[in-house]
Amino acid sequence: MSMIECRGLTKVFGGTKALNNFTCEINENTITGLIGRNGAGKTTLLKIIAGYHQQTSGEIKVFSEEPFNNLTVSANMIFVHDQLNLPTALNLQEILDVMAGFYKNWDRELAHRLFDYFSFHPMQYYNGLSKGMKSTFNMILGLAARTPLTIFDEPTTGMDAAVRKDFYRALLKDYIAYPRTIILSSHHLDEIEDLLEDILVVKQGQELLHMPIAELREYAIGLEGKNALVKEWTKDREIIFSKNGAFDQSYVVVRNDFSESELYQAELAGIEILPVSSSDVCVYLTSKTKGGIDDVFNKG
Amino acid sequence: MTLHLDGTKPIYIQISEWLENEILDGNFESDQKIYSQYQLADIFNINPATAAKGLNILAEEQILYKKRGLGMFVESNAKDLILSKRKNQTLKRLVQEIVMEAQRLNVSKQELIEMINAIKLGEERE
Repeated sequence: MSMIECRGLTKVFGGTKALNNFTCEINENTITGLIGRNGAGKTTLLKIIAGYHQQTSGEIKVFSEEPFNNLTVSANMIFVHDQLNLPTALNLQEILDVMAGFYKNWDRELAHRLFDYFSFHPMQYYNGLSKGMKSTFNMILGLAARTPLTIFDEPTTGMDAAVRKDFYRALLKDYIAYPRTIILSSHHLDEIEDLLEDILVVKQGQELLHMPIAELREYAIGLEGKNALVKEWTKDREIIFSKNGAFDQSYVVVRNDFSESELYQAELAGIEILPVSSSDVCVYLTSKTKGGIDDVFNKG
Repeated sequence: MTLHLDGTKPIYIQISEWLENEILDGNFESDQKIYSQYQLADIFNINPATAAKGLNILAEEQILYKKRGLGMFVESNAKDLILSKRKNQTLKRLVQEIVMEAQRLNVSKQELIEMINAIKLGEERE
Protein backbone atom coordinates (compact mmCIF):
# COMPACT_ATOMS: atom_id res chain seq x y z
CA MET A 1 0.00 0.00 0.00
CA SER A 2 1.30 3.44 -0.76
CA MET A 3 1.74 5.92 2.04
CA ILE A 4 2.53 8.88 -0.18
CA GLU A 5 1.26 9.58 -3.67
CA CYS A 6 2.33 12.59 -5.72
CA ARG A 7 1.05 13.32 -9.17
CA GLY A 8 2.30 16.16 -11.35
CA LEU A 9 3.49 18.07 -8.30
CA THR A 10 4.89 21.52 -9.12
CA LYS A 11 6.15 24.15 -6.71
CA VAL A 12 7.27 27.54 -7.95
CA PHE A 13 9.50 29.80 -5.88
CA GLY A 14 10.05 33.24 -7.42
CA GLY A 15 10.01 32.09 -11.00
CA THR A 16 12.01 28.88 -10.59
CA LYS A 17 10.38 25.51 -10.35
CA ALA A 18 11.72 23.72 -7.30
CA LEU A 19 9.50 20.80 -8.23
CA ASN A 20 8.50 20.34 -11.82
CA ASN A 21 5.68 17.91 -12.56
CA PHE A 22 6.95 15.49 -9.92
CA THR A 23 5.28 12.09 -9.69
CA CYS A 24 6.01 9.25 -7.32
CA GLU A 25 4.59 6.78 -4.82
CA ILE A 26 6.21 5.71 -1.59
CA ASN A 27 5.16 2.40 -0.09
CA GLU A 28 4.12 1.88 3.47
CA ASN A 29 6.74 0.50 5.90
CA THR A 30 9.74 0.99 3.65
CA ILE A 31 12.91 2.95 4.23
CA THR A 32 13.41 5.16 1.20
CA GLY A 33 16.57 7.12 0.52
CA LEU A 34 16.02 10.49 -1.11
CA ILE A 35 19.07 11.44 -3.11
CA GLY A 36 19.80 14.46 -5.23
CA ARG A 37 22.22 17.32 -5.75
CA ASN A 38 21.98 20.60 -3.86
CA GLY A 39 18.93 22.44 -5.13
CA ALA A 40 17.38 19.41 -6.80
CA GLY A 41 14.13 19.87 -4.86
CA LYS A 42 14.55 17.32 -2.06
CA THR A 43 13.69 19.61 0.83
CA THR A 44 10.82 21.22 -1.08
CA LEU A 45 9.36 17.78 -1.69
CA LEU A 46 9.71 16.82 1.98
CA LYS A 47 8.16 20.09 3.13
CA ILE A 48 5.15 19.51 0.90
CA ILE A 49 4.79 15.93 2.15
CA ALA A 50 5.00 17.22 5.72
CA GLY A 51 2.35 19.83 4.98
CA TYR A 52 4.62 22.86 5.57
CA HIS A 53 4.22 24.14 2.02
CA GLN A 54 1.33 24.00 -0.38
CA GLN A 55 2.07 22.95 -3.94
CA THR A 56 1.57 25.38 -6.80
CA SER A 57 -0.16 22.70 -8.83
CA GLY A 58 -0.55 18.93 -8.93
CA GLU A 59 -1.82 16.46 -6.39
CA ILE A 60 -0.41 14.97 -3.24
CA LYS A 61 -1.88 12.46 -0.80
CA VAL A 62 -0.29 11.42 2.48
CA PHE A 63 -2.28 8.85 4.51
CA SER A 64 -4.81 9.36 1.66
CA GLU A 65 -5.24 13.01 2.69
CA GLU A 66 -4.02 16.37 1.47
CA PRO A 67 -1.14 17.15 3.85
CA PHE A 68 -1.30 20.95 3.87
CA ASN A 69 -2.86 22.23 7.12
CA ASN A 70 -3.91 18.70 7.94
CA LEU A 71 -4.14 17.45 11.53
CA THR A 72 -4.09 13.73 10.70
CA VAL A 73 -0.85 14.18 8.81
CA SER A 74 0.84 16.32 11.42
CA ALA A 75 -0.15 13.99 14.26
CA ASN A 76 1.18 10.92 12.46
CA MET A 77 4.30 12.40 10.99
CA ILE A 78 7.53 13.86 12.25
CA PHE A 79 9.80 15.88 10.01
CA VAL A 80 13.32 16.17 11.36
CA HIS A 81 15.58 18.74 9.76
CA ASP A 82 18.34 21.08 10.88
CA GLN A 83 16.12 24.12 11.41
CA LEU A 84 13.72 22.65 13.96
CA ASN A 85 12.02 25.40 15.87
CA LEU A 86 12.31 24.12 19.42
CA PRO A 87 11.33 26.32 22.34
CA THR A 88 14.33 28.25 23.63
CA ALA A 89 12.82 28.72 27.10
CA LEU A 90 12.72 24.98 27.84
CA ASN A 91 15.65 22.78 28.73
CA LEU A 92 16.23 19.49 26.93
CA GLN A 93 14.38 17.42 29.52
CA GLU A 94 11.37 19.70 29.29
CA ILE A 95 11.43 19.50 25.50
CA LEU A 96 11.30 15.70 25.71
CA ASP A 97 8.36 15.93 28.14
CA VAL A 98 6.48 18.27 25.81
CA MET A 99 7.16 16.02 22.81
CA ALA A 100 5.63 13.10 24.73
CA GLY A 101 2.40 15.04 24.84
CA PHE A 102 2.36 15.63 21.09
CA TYR A 103 3.02 12.14 19.79
CA LYS A 104 0.83 9.29 20.91
CA ASN A 105 3.44 6.58 20.22
CA TRP A 106 6.23 8.53 21.93
CA ASP A 107 8.64 6.10 23.59
CA ARG A 108 9.80 7.75 26.80
CA GLU A 109 12.20 4.98 27.64
CA LEU A 110 13.91 4.98 24.26
CA ALA A 111 14.23 8.76 24.38
CA HIS A 112 15.74 8.52 27.81
CA ARG A 113 18.21 5.78 26.93
CA LEU A 114 19.40 7.57 23.81
CA PHE A 115 19.62 10.81 25.78
CA ASP A 116 21.94 9.18 28.30
CA TYR A 117 23.92 7.23 25.71
CA PHE A 118 24.79 10.42 23.83
CA SER A 119 25.67 12.16 27.12
CA PHE A 120 23.13 14.95 27.07
CA HIS A 121 22.42 16.83 30.26
CA PRO A 122 18.74 17.41 31.16
CA MET A 123 19.40 21.03 32.13
CA GLN A 124 21.10 21.98 28.85
CA TYR A 125 19.36 24.27 26.39
CA TYR A 126 18.95 23.42 22.73
CA ASN A 127 20.46 26.68 21.53
CA GLY A 128 23.58 26.00 23.55
CA LEU A 129 24.28 22.74 21.73
CA SER A 130 26.89 22.36 19.00
CA LYS A 131 25.76 21.64 15.45
CA GLY A 132 26.46 17.93 15.79
CA MET A 133 24.78 17.69 19.19
CA LYS A 134 21.71 19.48 17.82
CA SER A 135 21.50 16.91 15.03
CA THR A 136 21.89 14.12 17.57
CA PHE A 137 19.12 15.53 19.73
CA ASN A 138 16.87 15.91 16.65
CA MET A 139 17.54 12.30 15.83
CA ILE A 140 16.35 11.25 19.29
CA LEU A 141 13.12 13.17 18.71
CA GLY A 142 12.67 11.54 15.30
CA LEU A 143 13.18 8.02 16.61
CA ALA A 144 11.28 8.26 19.89
CA ALA A 145 8.23 9.89 18.25
CA ARG A 146 7.77 6.59 16.40
CA THR A 147 5.29 8.11 13.99
CA PRO A 148 3.91 6.04 11.09
CA LEU A 149 5.68 8.48 8.77
CA THR A 150 9.15 9.60 9.80
CA ILE A 151 11.10 12.01 7.65
CA PHE A 152 14.78 12.82 8.18
CA ASP A 153 16.17 15.60 6.01
CA GLU A 154 19.95 15.31 6.05
CA PRO A 155 19.89 14.16 9.67
CA THR A 156 23.62 13.63 10.05
CA THR A 157 24.76 17.21 9.41
CA GLY A 158 27.62 17.93 11.79
CA MET A 159 27.58 14.50 13.46
CA ASP A 160 30.95 12.82 13.85
CA ALA A 161 31.55 9.47 12.20
CA ALA A 162 30.85 7.44 15.34
CA VAL A 163 27.52 9.15 16.02
CA ARG A 164 26.47 8.75 12.39
CA LYS A 165 27.16 5.04 12.64
CA ASP A 166 25.21 4.82 15.91
CA PHE A 167 22.33 6.72 14.36
CA TYR A 168 22.05 4.37 11.37
CA ARG A 169 22.18 1.37 13.67
CA ALA A 170 19.57 2.83 16.03
CA LEU A 171 17.30 3.67 13.10
CA LEU A 172 17.55 0.15 11.72
CA LYS A 173 16.98 -1.55 15.07
CA ASP A 174 13.97 0.56 15.87
CA TYR A 175 12.60 0.03 12.36
CA ILE A 176 12.94 -3.76 12.74
CA ALA A 177 11.06 -3.64 16.04
CA TYR A 178 8.50 -1.05 14.89
CA PRO A 179 8.20 -1.01 11.09
CA ARG A 180 7.13 2.35 9.73
CA THR A 181 7.56 4.50 6.66
CA ILE A 182 10.87 6.31 6.78
CA ILE A 183 12.27 8.80 4.29
CA LEU A 184 15.92 9.65 4.68
CA SER A 185 17.53 12.32 2.58
CA SER A 186 21.28 12.34 2.44
CA HIS A 187 24.29 13.27 0.38
CA HIS A 188 26.12 10.18 1.56
CA LEU A 189 24.47 7.31 -0.23
CA ASP A 190 27.40 5.04 0.51
CA GLU A 191 26.69 5.43 4.24
CA ILE A 192 22.99 4.74 4.11
CA GLU A 193 22.50 2.39 1.19
CA ASP A 194 22.49 -0.80 3.26
CA LEU A 195 19.66 0.55 5.38
CA LEU A 196 17.47 1.34 2.42
CA GLU A 197 14.87 -0.70 0.68
CA ASP A 198 14.13 1.83 -2.07
CA ILE A 199 15.96 4.77 -3.52
CA LEU A 200 14.42 7.87 -5.02
CA VAL A 201 16.74 10.07 -7.06
CA VAL A 202 15.63 13.62 -7.79
CA LYS A 203 17.11 15.84 -10.47
CA GLN A 204 15.95 19.36 -11.31
CA GLY A 205 12.62 18.94 -9.56
CA GLN A 206 11.76 15.66 -11.24
CA GLU A 207 11.90 12.00 -10.37
CA LEU A 208 14.93 10.52 -12.10
CA LEU A 209 14.95 7.04 -10.62
CA HIS A 210 12.83 5.18 -8.12
CA MET A 211 13.77 1.55 -7.60
CA PRO A 212 14.80 -1.02 -5.03
CA ILE A 213 18.34 -0.23 -3.92
CA ALA A 214 19.44 -3.73 -4.91
CA GLU A 215 18.66 -2.96 -8.54
CA LEU A 216 20.67 0.24 -8.48
CA ARG A 217 23.81 -1.73 -7.68
CA GLU A 218 23.41 -3.56 -10.97
CA TYR A 219 22.12 -0.57 -12.90
CA ALA A 220 25.40 0.45 -14.49
CA ILE A 221 28.73 -1.05 -15.38
CA GLY A 222 32.12 0.48 -16.13
CA LEU A 223 34.30 -0.47 -19.09
CA GLU A 224 37.94 0.47 -19.17
CA GLY A 225 40.43 -0.10 -21.96
CA LYS A 226 41.83 1.25 -25.20
CA ASN A 227 39.76 4.13 -26.65
CA ALA A 228 38.78 2.42 -29.88
CA LEU A 229 37.94 -0.83 -28.17
CA VAL A 230 35.77 0.77 -25.50
CA LYS A 231 34.05 2.85 -28.15
CA GLU A 232 33.22 -0.25 -30.11
CA TRP A 233 31.75 -2.04 -27.09
CA THR A 234 29.73 0.93 -25.88
CA LYS A 235 28.27 2.12 -29.16
CA ASP A 236 24.46 2.12 -29.30
CA ARG A 237 24.37 1.93 -25.52
CA GLU A 238 23.23 4.51 -23.02
CA ILE A 239 26.40 6.22 -21.85
CA ILE A 240 26.14 7.53 -18.30
CA PHE A 241 29.68 8.78 -17.78
CA SER A 242 32.90 8.82 -19.73
CA LYS A 243 36.42 9.85 -18.97
CA ASN A 244 39.57 9.80 -21.02
CA GLY A 245 42.57 8.62 -19.11
CA ALA A 246 46.23 8.65 -19.99
CA PHE A 247 47.81 6.57 -22.79
CA ASP A 248 44.84 6.22 -25.08
CA GLN A 249 42.74 4.65 -22.31
CA SER A 250 39.17 5.53 -21.56
CA TYR A 251 36.65 4.65 -18.91
CA VAL A 252 32.99 4.59 -19.86
CA VAL A 253 30.00 3.83 -17.66
CA VAL A 254 26.91 2.50 -19.44
CA ARG A 255 23.55 0.99 -18.52
CA ASN A 256 24.16 -2.61 -17.62
CA ASP A 257 22.20 -4.37 -20.33
CA PHE A 258 25.00 -6.73 -21.26
CA SER A 259 24.45 -10.44 -21.17
CA GLU A 260 26.94 -12.53 -19.25
CA SER A 261 28.50 -13.92 -22.43
CA GLU A 262 28.89 -10.42 -23.86
CA LEU A 263 30.77 -9.35 -20.77
CA TYR A 264 32.94 -12.41 -21.04
CA GLN A 265 33.75 -11.61 -24.66
CA ALA A 266 34.52 -8.00 -23.82
CA GLU A 267 36.95 -9.19 -21.18
CA LEU A 268 38.57 -11.54 -23.65
CA ALA A 269 38.94 -8.61 -26.04
CA GLY A 270 40.93 -6.84 -23.35
CA ILE A 271 38.40 -4.60 -21.70
CA GLU A 272 38.31 -4.42 -17.97
CA ILE A 273 34.79 -4.68 -16.56
CA LEU A 274 34.31 -2.75 -13.35
CA PRO A 275 31.36 -2.53 -11.00
CA VAL A 276 30.00 0.95 -10.37
CA SER A 277 28.94 1.75 -6.83
CA SER A 278 25.43 3.05 -6.19
CA SER A 279 26.73 6.38 -5.04
CA ASP A 280 28.85 6.82 -8.18
CA VAL A 281 25.85 5.95 -10.34
CA CYS A 282 23.89 8.68 -8.56
CA VAL A 283 26.67 11.21 -9.01
CA TYR A 284 26.93 10.42 -12.72
CA LEU A 285 23.18 10.43 -13.29
CA THR A 286 22.59 13.70 -11.48
CA SER A 287 25.48 15.66 -12.97
CA LYS A 288 24.75 17.99 -15.83
CA THR A 289 27.65 17.11 -18.09
CA LYS A 290 28.94 13.68 -18.98
CA GLY A 291 32.58 14.50 -18.20
CA GLY A 292 31.99 16.10 -14.80
CA ILE A 293 34.25 18.78 -13.37
CA ASP A 294 37.03 17.86 -15.81
CA ASP A 295 35.00 19.46 -18.62
CA VAL A 296 35.43 22.85 -16.96
CA PHE A 297 39.19 22.56 -17.31
CA ASN A 298 39.18 21.08 -20.82
CA LYS A 299 39.18 24.13 -23.05
CA GLY A 300 40.10 22.34 -26.22
CA MET B 1 31.84 -12.56 8.84
CA THR B 2 31.90 -9.10 7.37
CA LEU B 3 30.10 -8.22 4.19
CA HIS B 4 31.99 -6.55 1.39
CA LEU B 5 29.62 -3.70 1.21
CA ASP B 6 31.44 -1.89 -1.56
CA GLY B 7 32.30 -5.06 -3.42
CA THR B 8 31.03 -6.28 -6.74
CA LYS B 9 28.46 -8.64 -5.32
CA PRO B 10 25.00 -7.44 -4.38
CA ILE B 11 24.43 -7.71 -0.64
CA TYR B 12 21.54 -10.15 -0.96
CA ILE B 13 23.82 -12.54 -2.88
CA GLN B 14 26.41 -12.23 -0.13
CA ILE B 15 23.70 -13.02 2.42
CA SER B 16 22.63 -16.13 0.54
CA GLU B 17 26.24 -17.27 0.19
CA TRP B 18 26.86 -16.69 3.87
CA LEU B 19 23.80 -18.80 4.73
CA GLU B 20 25.04 -21.51 2.37
CA ASN B 21 28.37 -21.53 4.21
CA GLU B 22 26.54 -21.83 7.52
CA ILE B 23 24.72 -24.88 6.19
CA LEU B 24 27.91 -26.38 4.70
CA ASP B 25 29.73 -25.86 7.98
CA GLY B 26 27.01 -27.81 9.72
CA ASN B 27 25.73 -24.92 11.83
CA PHE B 28 22.27 -25.71 10.54
CA GLU B 29 21.01 -29.27 10.19
CA SER B 30 18.26 -30.32 7.83
CA ASP B 31 14.77 -29.28 8.92
CA GLN B 32 16.28 -26.79 11.32
CA LYS B 33 14.90 -23.26 11.30
CA ILE B 34 17.29 -20.76 9.77
CA TYR B 35 17.70 -17.06 10.68
CA SER B 36 14.73 -14.83 9.97
CA GLN B 37 15.05 -11.78 7.75
CA TYR B 38 14.93 -9.61 10.88
CA GLN B 39 17.72 -11.53 12.59
CA LEU B 40 19.84 -11.24 9.46
CA ALA B 41 19.07 -7.53 9.19
CA ASP B 42 20.24 -7.08 12.75
CA ILE B 43 23.36 -9.23 12.35
CA PHE B 44 24.55 -7.49 9.18
CA ASN B 45 23.02 -4.06 9.73
CA ILE B 46 21.04 -4.13 6.51
CA ASN B 47 17.46 -3.52 5.46
CA PRO B 48 15.20 -6.51 6.26
CA ALA B 49 13.95 -6.48 2.65
CA THR B 50 17.51 -7.09 1.45
CA ALA B 51 17.87 -9.96 3.90
CA ALA B 52 14.55 -11.40 2.72
CA LYS B 53 15.84 -11.32 -0.85
CA GLY B 54 18.83 -13.41 0.19
CA LEU B 55 16.56 -15.95 1.89
CA ASN B 56 14.22 -16.07 -1.10
CA ILE B 57 17.03 -16.98 -3.47
CA LEU B 58 17.71 -20.06 -1.38
CA ALA B 59 14.00 -20.87 -1.22
CA GLU B 60 13.78 -20.67 -5.02
CA GLU B 61 16.74 -23.01 -5.30
CA GLN B 62 15.01 -25.37 -2.87
CA ILE B 63 17.83 -25.16 -0.38
CA LEU B 64 15.34 -23.73 2.12
CA TYR B 65 11.63 -24.30 2.44
CA LYS B 66 8.98 -22.04 3.90
CA LYS B 67 6.54 -22.94 6.61
CA ARG B 68 3.75 -20.44 6.64
CA GLY B 69 3.99 -18.24 9.71
CA LEU B 70 6.97 -20.13 11.11
CA GLY B 71 9.85 -19.10 8.90
CA MET B 72 12.36 -20.84 6.66
CA PHE B 73 13.86 -24.28 7.22
CA VAL B 74 16.76 -26.21 5.74
CA GLU B 75 15.87 -28.84 3.11
CA SER B 76 17.16 -32.35 3.73
CA ASN B 77 19.36 -32.37 0.60
CA ALA B 78 20.48 -28.75 1.04
CA LYS B 79 24.16 -29.62 1.45
CA ASP B 80 24.35 -31.60 -1.79
CA LEU B 81 22.51 -28.89 -3.70
CA ILE B 82 24.90 -26.22 -2.46
CA LEU B 83 27.96 -28.32 -3.23
CA SER B 84 26.92 -29.10 -6.78
CA LYS B 85 25.87 -25.51 -7.39
CA ARG B 86 29.17 -24.15 -6.13
CA LYS B 87 31.09 -26.60 -8.30
CA ASN B 88 29.15 -25.85 -11.45
CA GLN B 89 28.94 -22.10 -11.05
CA THR B 90 31.41 -20.57 -8.65
CA LEU B 91 34.33 -22.89 -9.24
CA LYS B 92 33.75 -22.91 -12.98
CA ARG B 93 33.82 -19.13 -13.10
CA LEU B 94 37.00 -18.98 -11.04
CA VAL B 95 38.63 -21.47 -13.39
CA GLN B 96 37.55 -19.34 -16.34
CA GLU B 97 39.25 -16.36 -14.76
CA ILE B 98 42.42 -18.35 -14.16
CA VAL B 99 42.48 -19.57 -17.74
CA MET B 100 41.98 -16.03 -19.03
CA GLU B 101 44.79 -14.65 -16.90
CA ALA B 102 47.01 -17.52 -18.06
CA GLN B 103 46.29 -16.64 -21.69
CA ARG B 104 47.13 -13.01 -21.02
CA LEU B 105 50.44 -14.06 -19.49
CA ASN B 106 51.18 -16.63 -22.20
CA VAL B 107 51.18 -19.45 -19.69
CA SER B 108 50.70 -22.78 -21.43
CA LYS B 109 48.11 -25.33 -20.39
CA GLN B 110 50.88 -27.65 -19.22
CA GLU B 111 52.43 -24.91 -17.09
CA LEU B 112 49.06 -24.03 -15.58
CA ILE B 113 48.38 -27.64 -14.61
CA GLU B 114 51.81 -27.85 -13.06
CA MET B 115 51.04 -24.74 -11.04
CA ILE B 116 47.82 -26.27 -9.77
CA ASN B 117 49.62 -29.48 -8.90
CA ALA B 118 52.30 -27.54 -7.04
CA ILE B 119 49.66 -25.91 -4.86
CA LYS B 120 48.03 -29.25 -4.19
CA LEU B 121 51.37 -30.84 -3.31
CA GLY B 122 52.09 -28.00 -0.92
CA GLU B 123 48.81 -28.69 0.78
CA GLU B 124 49.62 -32.37 1.23
CA ARG B 125 53.02 -31.65 2.73
CA GLU B 126 51.55 -29.46 5.44
